[in-house]
Amino acid sequence: MAGAIGFMIRLQIKTRVQYRVAFLLNRLAQIIAYASAFSAIWVLIHKFETLAGWRWPELALLLSFQLLGYGVGAALSFTQMRDLEDSVRSGRFDTLLVKPFSPWAYLVFSGLNLGYIGHIVLAVGMLVWSLSAVAIDWTVFRVSYALAALASSAALVCSMLTMIGACAFVLTRSRYLYSIFFGLWELTRYPLNLFPAPLQWLLLTALPMGFMNYVPVAYLLGKPIVVVGELGGVLAPLAGPLLVGLAVLQWRYCIRRYQGAGG
Amino acid sequence: MYGAVAQSAFQTQLAYRSQLWAHIFGQFIQVFFKIAIWQSVFGSLAQVDGVSLPQMITYAVLAGTVLSAWEWARLIQGIDVAISTGDIAVFLLKPLHYPLYLLASECGNLCFRVVAIVVPIVLTVALSYGLLPPASLLHGAAFLVFWALSFLIQFLLSLLFGLLAFWLMTAFSLEWLLQGLLALLSGSFVPLWFFPDSVTALVRHLPFAWIGFYPVAVYLGKLTPPQVFAYLALGVVWAAILGSGVLVLWRRATLRITVQGG
Repeated sequence: MAGAIGFMIRLQIKTRVQYRVAFLLNRLAQIIAYASAFSAIWVLIHKFETLAGWRWPELALLLSFQLLGYGVGAALSFTQMRDLEDSVRSGRFDTLLVKPFSPWAYLVFSGLNLGYIGHIVLAVGMLVWSLSAVAIDWTVFRVSYALAALASSAALVCSMLTMIGACAFVLTRSRYLYSIFFGLWELTRYPLNLFPAPLQWLLLTALPMGFMNYVPVAYLLGKPIVVVGELGGVLAPLAGPLLVGLAVLQWRYCIRRYQGAGG
Repeated sequence: MYGAVAQSAFQTQLAYRSQLWAHIFGQFIQVFFKIAIWQSVFGSLAQVDGVSLPQMITYAVLAGTVLSAWEWARLIQGIDVAISTGDIAVFLLKPLHYPLYLLASECGNLCFRVVAIVVPIVLTVALSYGLLPPASLLHGAAFLVFWALSFLIQFLLSLLFGLLAFWLMTAFSLEWLLQGLLALLSGSFVPLWFFPDSVTALVRHLPFAWIGFYPVAVYLGKLTPPQVFAYLALGVVWAAILGSGVLVLWRRATLRITVQGG
């Protein structure tokens, strides 16, 4: 299985290298688009000095966690799961069920989206810059916490996007749910203490996107954390693995109930 | 005939109801989170650069919802599909002008979104947070003209970017690039008043400023009547420049189709 996955990834790389210029242009455009959206936030902070008590380097750290977690997590899920409803409706998905290979692993790795490298490049750049500009007293615990939080962030995005996609097995449609995800995802560019309490609760319980970046970054910076408090901060890196577990259960449940899109 | 095209676009949108609900939800989240941001940064400040919090709430609704109601990305994606499948050639056989056909169809889409998304959001915010009326009758009337101009400039920019796909063969990068330019420079989120002095002179004269910033600045009475007319004229000049760009690109693009057909 590992060999097959390695082969699929090599194929993806070969395909992308075929259209090198288009690939690079697309990544450049994405980097410009994200940089512009972040610049709008920078303009805001430049004018008002802080946003809900956060200065620009702190906010840049928040943004880099969000973008890095998303870039890695979505590479392993988003386009594959978004297009799942098409293969369910056309019946192409049924052919995966009879293969001696996990349908999830086949979908994810045969469609591995290398395009997210643009997100990752920008996010790592911002991460390095913001870490040099904020004052964090680095200890072995904090370094391992930060690394675990980043991995958890990617796992969180990947499981949420996968859970939305798996709805296609039962509903035959799931694409419109992604616009709800991305509408809320944009909110994680800001510290959650900015928002009204119901929204804070929503983003830390039912749709736990706040654990992607707000909770771990606020914890690292020693800021008060809304709703879940400092204990929630310490435990934040567990949110990713927990949601992965939920996503696995939901995927299995949906596959068991899956009867094909036809009658 | 173009009226029928607009009507059919309006009715097509009705067919995608679950998508519409998700979209309305997303737009509601957007407008409320922008209001939360302005409430937070204004705090106890009465005014910042001569702008008050109630004015910023009105700004968030007008620039973020009303003037952004039209989905420009769908136009670029549609052109991309028409190019890559070859459907675009069909339009050359029909007795209509492709850019005009798109304009009519997008007018239908805009009307639909005003009815389905803009009206409910404007009413909700007006009842919950309160919206300011236009500064005067003249400013209110001028806002409607600026709104039409804002749509026209958005349409021409998107069409220009979409037609560039004839040469680049990928609309993906063009769509992202335009998204970035609009997010920062149109003032749909952060008004151009708040930009650092070193760049305001430039950003206030790019065509993007007429998409979000000037229409709302006019509505709120931040421009004197002579300024309103001066900036309206400048905006029309930009629309004319973009319009001629579209015509030139479209003529060249049609030649390219013939060449590729052999």
